[in-house]
Parts: sequence; C-alpha cells; structure tokens
Amino acid sequence: MTITAGIDLGTGAVKAVVFDVNNGETTWLARETLRIRQRDPMELTEEAFNHVLEEAGLGRDDVAYVATTGEGEGVPFRTGHFYSMTTHARGAIYLEPESRAALDIGALHGRAIRIDERGKVLNYKMTSQCASGSGQFLENIARYLGIAQDEIGSLSKAADEPENVSSICAVLAETDVINMVSRGISAPNILKGIHLSMAGRLAKLLKAIGVSEGTVTVTGGLALDDGLVAALVEEIAKIRGINVTTRSHPDSIYAGAIGAALWGAFRYDKLAKLGQLRQAS
Amino acid sequence: MRTFTGIDLGSTTTKAVLMDENQRVIGRGITNSRSNYDTATRVASQEARIDAHMMLCHRALEQVGGLGGRLEEFLGDLEGAFRLEQFLEQLGDLEETCLGQLRHERFASVRDAAKVALAEVFARLREEAPALFGRGAKRKSDFFRDVAGGRYLAVSEAVARDAGLSYDLLLNVYDKSIIEVENRPPGGDIKGKFRRALSALIGDSNGRSGPFADQRDAVERAVGAALDIELDDVFLVGTGYGRVTLPFSKEHIRSEILCHGLGAHMMHPGTRTVLDIGGQDTKGIQVDANGIVENFQMNDRCAAGCGRYLGYIADEMKMGLHELGPMAIKSEKPVRINSTCTVFAGAELRDRLSLGEKREDILAGLHRAIILRAMSIISRSGGIANEFTFTGGVAKNEAAVRELRKLVKENYGEVTININPESIYTGALGAAEFARRAGESAAFEDARAGVNS
Repeated sequence: MTITAGIDLGTGAVKAVVFDVNNGETTWLARETLRIRQRDPMELTEEAFNHVLEEAGLGRDDVAYVATTGEGEGVPFRTGHFYSMTTHARGAIYLEPESRAALDIGALHGRAIRIDERGKVLNYKMTSQCASGSGQFLENIARYLGIAQDEIGSLSKAADEPENVSSICAVLAETDVINMVSRGISAPNILKGIHLSMAGRLAKLLKAIGVSEGTVTVTGGLALDDGLVAALVEEIAKIRGINVTTRSHPDSIYAGAIGAALWGAFRYDKLAKLGQLRQAS
Repeated sequence: MRTFTGIDLGSTTTKAVLMDENQRVIGRGITNSRSNYDTATRVASQEARIDAHMMLCHRALEQVGGLGGRLEEFLGDLEGAFRLEQFLEQLGDLEETCLGQLRHERFASVRDAAKVALAEVFARLREEAPALFGRGAKRKSDFFRDVAGGRYLAVSEAVARDAGLSYDLLLNVYDKSIIEVENRPPGGDIKGKFRRALSALIGDSNGRSGPFADQRDAVERAVGAALDIELDDVFLVGTGYGRVTLPFSKEHIRSEILCHGLGAHMMHPGTRTVLDIGGQDTKGIQVDANGIVENFQMNDRCAAGCGRYLGYIADEMKMGLHELGPMAIKSEKPVRINSTCTVFAGAELRDRLSLGEKREDILAGLHRAIILRAMSIISRSGGIANEFTFTGGVAKNEAAVRELRKLVKENYGEVTININPESIYTGALGAAEFARRAGESAAFEDARAGVNS
C-alpha cells in the first residue's frame, strides 16, 4: 500500500487529493478545493493538504509521496513536482478511460492535450499570450455581474441571443460589461457569448493537435461550468473533420491533482525498487 | 458664486473640476466610474463641491487669523470627520443591501448563520472606521469600494472561519451588493455633514467637547459663513470615455482629446506634445500654441501600457496603487518582463517572486514595460516636441516618470518635461474651460438680446 497525495496549485484554486495505490489498484481517499481569490496560495495549500489528510484519517508521515503540479513547485513539503501537461493527461484517463484528448481549462490557460490510452502525452497546444477568453476573464465578468461561480452555467444555458464577444481584454472587461449591460444585454446572453468565444478558441486547439475522434475530456477549474461545456460541444461540431464526444466528469477539477498523485505513486514505486528514494529526495 | 464644471468620465475614474469666472479652479473631485456614468458624474461633481467648500473654509479661516498655526491640522481633521460621516453612511447602505441579498432562496439553508456573520463583519468594520480617517491614516484608496471592499474581504475571511461558514458565500453576498451600493451616490446634504463634522471638532450643545473647542467661536463663524456661500453651477461640459452616454445635449460634450490638449495647455502654456496615461487609454497628442489638437494616437483595446496594468499588478501584490512607484524606484537592476498581456504579466510576477527575485526589481521591469508601450504610441502620433507634458494618473508615479525621462532623453534629446501635481484632472480642467467659454458667450448672447429688445 502506497499513500500518495497530489496538489494542483492553480491560479484560481488549490486542489488536493489523497490516493491509496496498491498493486495497480487505486483508491481515492479524500479531496479538497479551496479558491484562492485574495488569499495566500501557500497558506491555502497547507490548509488543503491538512484537510485531506484529516479526512483520510492520516498523518503526514503516512504519505509516501507528495506530488505537486501547476504552480506548486515552491511548496516546501512536496516530494516531487510534475508538469501540468502530464498530470492532466493522466487525470483525464483516470476519470474517463476512453479519453484521447484532455482539454484543460484553467484561470489563465486553455490547453489541448492529445493522449494515448495510458495517458502518455502525444501532442499539445496552448492558447495565446493574451488572457481574453480565459477563465480569469469569465470570472471577472461574473464578479461584475454579481454572479456566483456555480450560477454561470445554468444562466448561460438560458441564453436566447448570445452577445458576440470575440476579443476583449480580460483586464478591461469591466467597462465592456458595463457597456453591455447599459445596452440592455442580459446576463445569460453575455455569459453565453463569452462561453462561445472561449469554446471557439479551444476547439481550434483540438484541431491543431490533430484530434479527430474519440472522447475529449474537459479538465481543470472550468470543467464544472456546464454552460462552457455545452458551448464547446456546439463549437467543436462546427469544425470539419472532428467527430468526438465531449465529456466532463464531476471530479474533472481534480484531474491535475489526481494525475500528480498517480504519477507520484508510479515514481515512488520505481525509486523504491531502485532503492534510491533517499538519494532522490 | 458662479461656477463652471468640467467632467471627465474616464473608464476607471471620473473627475470633476469646478472653475470660477476668473478661470480659477476652486474644487476638484474624483470617484471610480465602475458602474453607472450618470452616478459617477453626480458623485464626482459632489466631490468637487466638497473640495470647494473645504477651500472656502480655508480662505475664511485664514481671514480670521488662521487658528494660531493650527489651521492645516484643523482642516485635515475637518475633512477626516466629514469622510467618516460619509463612509459610515455608505457602510450602513452596504450592510442593508447585503442583508437584502440573503432573502434570495439560494441562501435559504444558511440564512440565519449568514445574518449573524454579516452583523459581526459590519460591527468590526464600523469599529475600525474612525482609525481609517484619523490623523496620519494611510488608506490604499479614497474610494468607498476599495476601502470598504478591502476590509470586508479581510474581515469576512476570519469571521467565516470562526462561524464555520464558507468564505465564498460572504464574498458572493458582497459582490452582489457592492454594485448596487455604488450606483447610489451618498445622500446629498453636504452642508449638514460638514456641520456634524464640525461639532465633532469643536463640541456641541450636548456638552461634548472636541480638540478645537477652545477655538469654537472663531471657527464656527468662519466655517458657517463659508458653508453659506451658494455654488451656482452655470454651465457644465463633459468629456471622456463615457461622454456619449452622458445625459447632456451636444454642446455640453467635447472629445477627450480636445479637453486633454486644452487642459495641458492651461497648466503649461508651452506644451506641444502630451502623453496621457489613463485607466484604459494611453494617448499621444500634438497641440499648437493655443492648445488646439493637431494630431493624436491611442492604444488599441488592450490593458497593456495603461494605468490599469499597474492597478492589476497592485492587486496582485496586495499593495496600494501609489505604493508601487516608491518601491520600484529602489531598484538598481530592473528585471526584463516578457509578457505583454497584463494578466500574464501578473502571473510572471508571481513566478519571479517565487524564484526569489526582488520585488522592487520586478516592479521596475513592469514600469519600464508600460512606458515602452507609451513611447511607441507617442512616436506614432508624431514624436516628442518641446515642451512635453505628461498627464493622467500614472504621471504621479515616480518610477514611471523616471523611466519616461530616461527614454525621452535617449530618443529625443533635451526636452522640457512638465508634470503637474494635479495632472489627473487635465481632461476635466479642459472641459471646465470649455464650459466657462460657453457660459461667457451665452452671457454675451443674453446681454446682446437684452440690448436689442
């Protein structure tokens, strides 16, 4: 039995999980998400880690490997760090074994990752160096509209005439929203417009990395936004040559943390076999 | 007293300048224009009137002997007491609005606990309020949203934890309420608030005493007389990003480029090139000897290179906007910032901090990045001619100014660079001057009509 923890320190939230990996059998013991907004990410990481340990009824010494991903490289109690491309790939396979691509949508980046059946990364591409159309952008807009994260999806799905918002600076979005509202555009139509614009970009990424069939699993902080997932289905359908099933799992937000924990277990076993753990850590 | 008002509706802040018939500025006001332009206009004019009353009090007190050297201290306390009155009024509004939000069914299961938590949050906010406006108090901003919001976030985190409630819930209640509160300008009655602030300083009929009770007679008479002066608004001109939505007729609206050109010319008559870095626009403007615009260029729709870039960075670092410059200026080895996008620059900042780079070096790099963008906009507008005037909120930032001086010298040689301490009001000043000229010609028309009839 190997207890491993995975911590995905993102821009918007800290996600932590604990796994028990036993001869290839994986048991998920605990999970926790803490939103960062205006708080210290490192303190929250500590809090999230303590919380999952408590929930799993474990102490720190019981954990064989603490794997971080995302921006978690500086976490002092980590054993190792994994690049988010590989953790999201592995997490997607864990959640949806048929996944042939993961679409990781976080606060800043959108990332399309093509993967094989074991979660190995074959190709990937990210959105450009402008935050218009990122999760952060959506979050800002929702905040100015006074809408909670979990209301976004259902409101977006209620849109009847989505507003076209192809490119708006995430930082200046506030004034754009004010203008939209003063032009009489409803919150559902604003949100759906943003969802479609984000989804359009992400769909293009899938095409660019050569995904044509199979299951695409949405991961990352925005995977729970069913309005965005619905928009993705719409936008992917518009692209010729792609015939995929788009899915989001209720635990998709943990994909990075799951992947980290499982890669952590894998590396731990390998190192243990080589008797090199002490040397490596 | 006949007054003329200029309003500059910027994307982030709205500025108002009140001018008298002799072209003298008698009051300046600023507010954030986050929500409704109509409200922002009203609040900024109200602020300019508050400032004008402060100025009139200052004048009146000087005439009666200036409080034996305690004049500045008195005026500072008077303004502080006035601000506290206004802050508590808005805080009450915010509390009521937050409580109102809880009536929504989504909060049904946590309503009672949330009510208790909110009561606790607001009790703490009220308790710490006097310190925010006391002598020597340092506030990160003067706007209600920033002051109250910043403290709300900090206090509610602790309260939520103690109450076993979700922090997100309290944040959501706040987010849902603050826009509504901001859309309601503080109730008027400026004079009433001044009188209550005054009694806090000189004591009142209930026998309460105050720090200036010994000066009671002189102060009461002078301040009373100053408050009795009616400010009669004759003509108003609006400009800025939101000007088209202003409820004014066409002759009351001027383009912001014209107003910035004229405002810069009024502050520094030798001006030929103006750089204005505002909240979400950066403009390079060329003007002639009369302050009339000859050419201009603006940034595209991106926050890189605008004031908001620094605002965003300040939020990231949990610093006040005006703390950035002083820290960046300490740097001896600026870091090169690679990201153009503001949001990505914020992430780059976090990365570099976690790699152990010095805060001042990163900040200096960010300041350099914003000025480099501005330089390219100026060059597209026709370069820099003598004299060069730097206006807008960022002109207050010494680190940005240092970078600008360096780059101007490298690219254009020795040029006189003007930076006015009131530079943020440049557009509103130009608008006020347009208002004064319009009022003058209207008076002329009236007089001629009178002669003819």
